[in-house]
Amino acid sequence: MTSYGLKQRFSTVVVYVFLGVMAFLSIFPFLWMVIGATNTTSDIIKGKMSFGASLLVNVNTFLTQVDAPLVFWNSAKITIIATVLTLLISSLAGYGFEIFASRFREKLYTLMLLTLMIPFAALMIPLFMLMKQFGLINTHIAVVLPTVASAFIIFYFRQSTKAFPHELRDAARVDGLKEWQIFFLIYMPVMRSTYAAAFIIVFMTVWNSYLWPLIVLQSNDTKTITLVISSLGSAYYPDYGAVMIGTVLATIPTLFVFFAMQRQFVEGMLGSVK
Amino acid sequence: MSDVTLRDVRKSFGAVEIIKGVDLDIKSGEFVVFVGPSGCGKSTLLRMIAGLETITAGELEIGGERMNEVDPSQRGIAMVFQSYALYPHMTVRENMGFALRFAKLSKEEIRKQVDEAARILELEPLMDRKPKALSGGQRQRVAIGRAIVRHPKVFLFDEPLSNLDAELRVHMRIEIAKLHRDLGATIVYVTHDQVEAMTLADKIVVLRSGIVEQVGAPLELYDNPANLFVAGFIGSPKMNFLKGVVESGSAGRADVRLPDFGGAVVPVALKGDAPAAGTPVTLGIRPSQFADDGDAALPVTVDMMEHLGAETLIYARSAASDLVTIASPTRPNLQIGDALTAHFPSSGALLFGDDGKRIY
Repeated sequence: MTSYGLKQRFSTVVVYVFLGVMAFLSIFPFLWMVIGATNTTSDIIKGKMSFGASLLVNVNTFLTQVDAPLVFWNSAKITIIATVLTLLISSLAGYGFEIFASRFREKLYTLMLLTLMIPFAALMIPLFMLMKQFGLINTHIAVVLPTVASAFIIFYFRQSTKAFPHELRDAARVDGLKEWQIFFLIYMPVMRSTYAAAFIIVFMTVWNSYLWPLIVLQSNDTKTITLVISSLGSAYYPDYGAVMIGTVLATIPTLFVFFAMQRQFVEGMLGSVK
Repeated sequence: MSDVTLRDVRKSFGAVEIIKGVDLDIKSGEFVVFVGPSGCGKSTLLRMIAGLETITAGELEIGGERMNEVDPSQRGIAMVFQSYALYPHMTVRENMGFALRFAKLSKEEIRKQVDEAARILELEPLMDRKPKALSGGQRQRVAIGRAIVRHPKVFLFDEPLSNLDAELRVHMRIEIAKLHRDLGATIVYVTHDQVEAMTLADKIVVLRSGIVEQVGAPLELYDNPANLFVAGFIGSPKMNFLKGVVESGSAGRADVRLPDFGGAVVPVALKGDAPAAGTPVTLGIRPSQFADDGDAALPVTVDMMEHLGAETLIYARSAASDLVTIASPTRPNLQIGDALTAHFPSSGALLFGDDGKRIY
């Protein structure tokens, strides 16, 4: 084998070892979670890394301690409404920023991007006071509202809209479509993969959101799955088996959404940087 | 009635004026081609007729009605775009019938009109395919079909063949010419390809920097260009421009001396009086005008040759290194570096003044 061939083989080995380590680091928490769901609390604390026989016991404990249908329904309701509204409002804004020129467009856009630099911790108190004034504390609307105009998703849609062929809009105008019809009948279907990628990002963010729901959702009947899992884990004698079962169940919807839209997600991410 | 009239039409983007006052009359059924180099404003002018760009000043009439503020869909136009602009999520049938849905036609009527257009363009086997499953030529036919179904007063084509390969471009060019003959519609067509302009147009509008340089029939522009720009733009290979000085002149004739070509004197026939002796001028000679029996002669040296089969292009230089292109219908036995006396009939030479305008 030539020295060039050896070099090639060595670099391939290095790449694969690196990828293997990164893949393991990514998968390990999931593996630990699934194994933990089959073990007792003491086994989990001891760090046992093999499947146990306590799955049904843990499931039973979880279902006894938690009103699972209610908390999953709360999470699902909030996530689906917030995701649909975020995609609709942010994509409209992103489309508008890219398509319609005005004197103030770029200034306004820069101002909007600057809001990405404000940490959520700085917004919590004003947001809470705002929600309180509107009488929305302890309602799901209070969780949904602050997410629907997302600066990041607007940015993402504006960047993606750069790849949207402007001649399609011209053709639609000649065909007699109004601006809102062009958006709903041409832009949305054409940008399907961008929407799919944004759907996954927003869905996972809202489904996993913890801090803001913790602040505004105060009664048990409004709480989401992430809050409930957290409260299970912070009990005086936490049952980690039940926590793991809750975590596994809470992960399933995000995995389902990701795998269902994986192809469009990859296309969307590629489209956004072309 | 599908005349199109433009009166002092102007377009500005901010402080920059792109279209600087265009006056144009396009008769019903006429095939008019806007031609000019990149950035001359030809596509902007077409988009203004379509209603996709606002008109800053001036009047646009289609079929005798003022259209300046009318919505694109209400102007009685249909447009074919360079990139086809087919809706990628719709089938060919849906693409072609889409505008008719918004014109509130019944499903039966839409089907009938789409089928008729598909028959004319031989698209029947492709009706259920999506654009990504079509070739470039097929996509362009669908785009034309989408325009046909609307029965517009005026068809607008924006460089429709630019994305096609050379062979397909020739094929589609013939298709568009046939379509014009069959439909008898008014067509406004934008291209930067002067061969397309020459072969398709009833009337060519040559634009430069937002100004109409000349309007006329293709051969009129070829034979009688109004200025150096039109003379250089129309015709391929490009017309030769030779720097000269009027040596002497009288009514109907000017003797032009060409200092870069050994002081050769060419008698040029004029309709009017010749410019004063000593006036700097430019002599225009088409490459195809060079012939063995011409009365004028230029001493040159062969620099380069291109054998195209039907003709040979000889690129030659004068002693002062001025380039002359000669199109020979034969296959001359010449080598690079050979001295050559290029003859041409002086009656075919055109004279241009220092300002670039033709001296008649």
